[in-house]
Amino acid sequence: MKILVPVKRVIDYNVKVRVRTDGSGVDLANVKMSMNPFDEIAVEEAVRLKEKGVASEIVVVSIGVQQAKDTLRSALAMGADRAILIDATSDVNQDIEPLAVARLLSRIVEAERPDLVIAGKQAIDNDMNATGQMLAGLLGWGQATFASKIEIADGRAVVTREVDGGLQTIGVRLPAVVTVDLRLNEPRYVSLPSIMKAKKKPLEERTAAALDVDVTPRLKIVRTVEPPQRVAGVRVASVDELIEKLKNQAGVL
Amino acid sequence: MYLNETQEQVRETVQAFADDVIRPAAEALDREERFPAEIFDEMAKLGLFGIGVPEALGGPGFDTLTYAVVMEELSRGYASVADQCGLVELISTLLVRHGTERQQAMLPDILAMRRKVAYCITEPEAGTDVSGIRTTAEKDGDGWVLNGGKIWIHNAPVADTGFVLARTDKEAGTRGMSIFIVDLHARGVERGPKEHKMGQRASQVGGLNFSDVRLGRDALLGEAGRGFHMMMSVLDKGRVGIAALAVGIAQAGLEAAVDYAGTRKQFGKPISDFQGVQWLLADMAKDIEAARLLVHSAAVKIDRGLDATRSCSMAKCFAGDIAVARTADAVQVFGGSGYIRGFEVERLYRDAKITQIYEGTNQIQRMIIARELMKKGARA
Ligand SMILES: Cc1cc2nc3c(=O)[nH]c(=O)nc-3n(C[C@H](O)[C@H](O)[C@H](O)COP(=O)(O)OP(=O)(O)OC[C@H]3O[C@@H](n4cnc5c(N)ncnc54)[C@H](O)[C@@H]3O)c2cc1C
Ligand SMILES: Cc1cc2nc3c(=O)[nH]c(=O)nc-3n(C[C@H](O)[C@H](O)[C@H](O)COP(=O)(O)OP(=O)(O)OC[C@H]3O[C@@H](n4cnc5c(N)ncnc54)[C@H](O)[C@@H]3O)c2cc1C
Repeated sequence: MKILVPVKRVIDYNVKVRVRTDGSGVDLANVKMSMNPFDEIAVEEAVRLKEKGVASEIVVVSIGVQQAKDTLRSALAMGADRAILIDATSDVNQDIEPLAVARLLSRIVEAERPDLVIAGKQAIDNDMNATGQMLAGLLGWGQATFASKIEIADGRAVVTREVDGGLQTIGVRLPAVVTVDLRLNEPRYVSLPSIMKAKKKPLEERTAAALDVDVTPRLKIVRTVEPPQRVAGVRVASVDELIEKLKNQAGVL
Repeated sequence: MYLNETQEQVRETVQAFADDVIRPAAEALDREERFPAEIFDEMAKLGLFGIGVPEALGGPGFDTLTYAVVMEELSRGYASVADQCGLVELISTLLVRHGTERQQAMLPDILAMRRKVAYCITEPEAGTDVSGIRTTAEKDGDGWVLNGGKIWIHNAPVADTGFVLARTDKEAGTRGMSIFIVDLHARGVERGPKEHKMGQRASQVGGLNFSDVRLGRDALLGEAGRGFHMMMSVLDKGRVGIAALAVGIAQAGLEAAVDYAGTRKQFGKPISDFQGVQWLLADMAKDIEAARLLVHSAAVKIDRGLDATRSCSMAKCFAGDIAVARTADAVQVFGGSGYIRGFEVERLYRDAKITQIYEGTNQIQRMIIARELMKKGARA
């Protein structure tokens, strides 16, 4: 079985994000970038499936700027076999929107013919939660989103989904697109020898133009603002006062 | 940064491991003076021992700069953990350079921490002046018989194999010393009690006594009489390692101090608003960056095969000195809290002090720098 995993280069989750002064977005100049954490979980799951003997090959794909090669190398060090970079822009601030990403991925899927695409449920930069679903739509494949458990058997994926109020287990016929949630697994630390080996693994480059996909943004960012500052709490004198405040002031009881 | 993509990737992975696994364990390890076998097992799986060992001999085969980066990041987690990495690096470098094929066969076990090693030079009468060692190995058939004692040996209480510097020719001075690979479970080997140290307290340090320990023909590493020179030849790399370890301690102190200064309020404001505190933080940051650059430049010189002696001594000396001075500043920023057990900066200050003492005291580093100046001139 062949698995394809798309990985996105995003602002590192430890970085304190600053909004650009003109409100056009967040400042991405000179900040640490890393693999989207949900994509790391997706790569980890693919590697575990390979270690279990379920999968035979893992191809990782990243779309964006040349620097996304670093992200691909990380995925290769985790255990992916091959990488494809789709060079779509030279502007680090340009986000490639979900529909364009899904279209580009569908071209790669047509060429690579994987049995399964495992993707992060969303990227932590703009939280779209759309790419996996759009890709399944474009391909006409089944989809299972928010996975917290994936089992492959008899040409099907049995996926446990984290939904409001509990867990839902569904079966989808392969090929399919699965998007993963936080609790699916805990990604490994890459070992030093695997970093060395990753340098020798193939990394192929394509361009969005050659794949004939228009990546011009369709959305216009009207405004970006900092989240409101947290205000200080209040000290209450007694449990009774707390209950009173929760009832009448906060309205949560 | 000037690190290449691979070095940066190594840094990120070790940094994450240090943040998640090492740093949270440090306080308890220090308090209990415990050998962190479980952390070393995980590190072995990640390939964090024997970083420079070539792929053909079972290591990842990284350069000295990468090694320095790893040492700093591990030490930012906990210096005792980094020091084990430094010790294995020294021993494996010796084995890679001078070991026979049979001797190198122990490398996989050493890198996996299945075989714990010790580097045994210091004696009661021979500290800085290694030429004073009295441990002897006398020829006996095809082997030798070892007699003498070593003190303050890292890993002595737990090690399986010692790399022991002994005198093989009493008349020949530093040309009469050889390195022997000694099974520390053998008859005639006695371990002294574990020392209770000021800092780096998870490192197990103690003495070893050898009485009529029989060594086979395979026990000799490299050529007889070349022990002192072999040891000296790995010192450059050893000093880069300890210098990077010192930078890691200081960096942990800076991080703690910056966080604390931003949250601790006195006179109605965070203390980071006061210039007196800001200047402390600024001086810490600039010295740490300067030390790091010295370490990296020394590492790059080694990697390019240039004369690195002066740079390595400068890096070791400067990084050790600023680690002590700047962790003292971190304590200062914490006020009374910095003086209390359980606060990280209190431990960092204690952990820093030994970096001015081991791997050649900082007086000796200055002596080397001065000697190089006299010999090769002020420009280099
Ligand atoms: C925690 C710890 C771990 C250690 N681990 C190991 C180990 O694994 N293996 C090992 O072999 N050893 C180890 N050592 C020993 C260490 O290398 C020595 O302590 C060090 O070399 C200094 O020797 P000394 O303590 O005998 O001090 P001394 O040599 O007695 O020095 C005392 C002072 O005199 C100064 N001094 C000496 N000669 C001169 C001179 N010519 N000019 C100016 N000043 C001078 C020194 O700089 C120092 O300040 C360890 C020590 C400690 C504390
Ligand atoms: C071992 C020990 C014994 C003690 N014994 C006693 C005792 O018997 N009785 C008692 O009452 N207290 C005692 N103390 C408390 C001691 O007096 C305080 O720790 C000390 O006054 C510093 O206060 P702090 O720890 O809250 O640090 P902070 O006031 O929080 O200071 C933190 C840092 O900010 C700096 N700083 C603060 N304000 C400014 C400013 N405006 N400009 C520039 N820098 C500033 C400080 O110099 C310090 O470096 C003791 C403390 C210790 C550790």
